[in-house]
Amino acid sequence: MTKNVVTILDTGETYGCAGEENLLDAMVRLGRKGIPSGCHGGGCGVCKIHIVDGAWRGKAMSREHVSREEEAHGIVLACRAYPASDVTLKVLGKMKKAVCRERKYGLV
Amino acid sequence: MGVMRIGHINLRVLDMDAALDHYENTMGLSVTDRDADGNVYLKCWDEWDKYSVILTEADSAGMNSIAFKVEKDADLDALKKRITDYGIDVTDMAPGEMNGCGRAIRFNLPSGHDMRLYAEKEFLGKAVGTLNPEPWPDEGKGVKAHWLDHALLMCELDPERGVNKVAENTKFMKEVLDFHLGEQVLVGPDGDIQAATWMFRTSTPHDIAFVGGPEMGLHHVAFFLDEWNDVLKAADIMAKRKVKMDVTPQRHGITRGYTIYFFDPSGNRNETFAGLGYLAQPDMPPITWTEENLWRGIFYHTGEEAGAFTTVYT
Repeated sequence: MTKNVVTILDTGETYGCAGEENLLDAMVRLGRKGIPSGCHGGGCGVCKIHIVDGAWRGKAMSREHVSREEEAHGIVLACRAYPASDVTLKVLGKMKKAVCRERKYGLV
Repeated sequence: MGVMRIGHINLRVLDMDAALDHYENTMGLSVTDRDADGNVYLKCWDEWDKYSVILTEADSAGMNSIAFKVEKDADLDALKKRITDYGIDVTDMAPGEMNGCGRAIRFNLPSGHDMRLYAEKEFLGKAVGTLNPEPWPDEGKGVKAHWLDHALLMCELDPERGVNKVAENTKFMKEVLDFHLGEQVLVGPDGDIQAATWMFRTSTPHDIAFVGGPEMGLHHVAFFLDEWNDVLKAADIMAKRKVKMDVTPQRHGITRGYTIYFFDPSGNRNETFAGLGYLAQPDMPPITWTEENLWRGIFYHTGEEAGAFTTVYT
C-alpha cells in the first residue's frame, strides 16, 4: 500500500496516509493531544482543515460546517478527505478553540 | 394522562445507505416503511409501534425533531392549551402528516428544538409477539437494541449574557408537560446555574436530558440494552464493524446507567444505555451534582471528560 506524505504546517510534523484512508484516521495515529478527533463521520465539524497543497478526493460532509465554496478551496473535514498525492495541510476547526478555552461554568 | 414516553426521533444523515447499514446491521433496527420524500422509518424489535427512528438524507447531520406519545387523544387538546397559555405557539398536524400517526401538535422548546406530541401510531407489534412470547427473537442483527430510550439535547448556555436554555426547557417540561426532574448539575460561583438536567415521565431516570453548550443541537440518541454483558458485547460488535466509539463501556454516576457512546456514519452520537438505573417516581427528590463532581457524575470511573464529549455534537 503506497502511503502519501502528509505535512501539518502548524507543527511541521509529517505522517503517512494511504489513498484509501482518510486524513484524520492517519493523523490520530500520531497520538498527539489536541488532534481534532470527533465523530469521524463528517457531521460534527471539529476536524476542519485547509489542504494548502496536494490532490485529494472528498466524501459527503456537513454543509453546516463546510460550504461548497470552502470545499472547492481545499477547506474540508479531515475525516472525509482522502489523499491522492502528498498533501500539506493546516488545522482549523473548533478543537483549536476548545483547547485554549477556559471553562468558567463546568460545561461552557 | 399526559405524556407517556419518547415516541420517535427524526435524524438527518449525509448518506442514507451508510446510515441504514449502521441502524440495521449494527443497532439491529428494522426498516418498516419508506415515504415518497425518501425518509426511511425503523423500529427496534421490542417496540410495538410502527417506528421510533426516521432517517432523512440531508447535507448536514443532526436532529430535525423529537416526538413523544401521549396516552389519550384528549391530552393533545389539554396540552395544546397549556403550551399556548405558557406563551409558546402550537401548530396542529393533521392525521397522517406524521407517517402512520393520528393528529399531532408541534411546537418549539424554549431551546428551539422541534417537538411533537401524538396519541396514535400504527401498531406493528414486537418481534416476539404477545402470545406466549420467547424472551428475545432469534432474528435480528448487531446489538439488537430493545427500544429508543432517550435523547440528550444541547441547549444554549451563556450565563454572562443571561442565557440558560437548559433551565428554560426544564421549567417548561416540568410546569407544562408534567415531566419530573431526576437529576441536575449546578455550576457557577454560587452553584446556582442549572447546566444540565435529566427528566422523566416513565419510571426510568430519564426520558430526555438537556445539557448546556455554546449552541443548540443533538448530543446523542440512546437505545436500550438489558445489562452490562450486553454492553460489552455491543462494544465488541462495534469494534468488529469499525464504528467510531467515543467512550468505551463505562458507568454513569448520573442515572447509574451502563453506557457506550459512538457515532453513526454521519456523526450523530448514539448511546447504548443499559440497566434500570433506579426506579424513578414523581415523589423522588431530585439528585444534584456539583461542578467539582460533574465529571464523576458523567463518567463515574475516570471522573474525567473522555474524547470530545462536550465539544462535539451535531
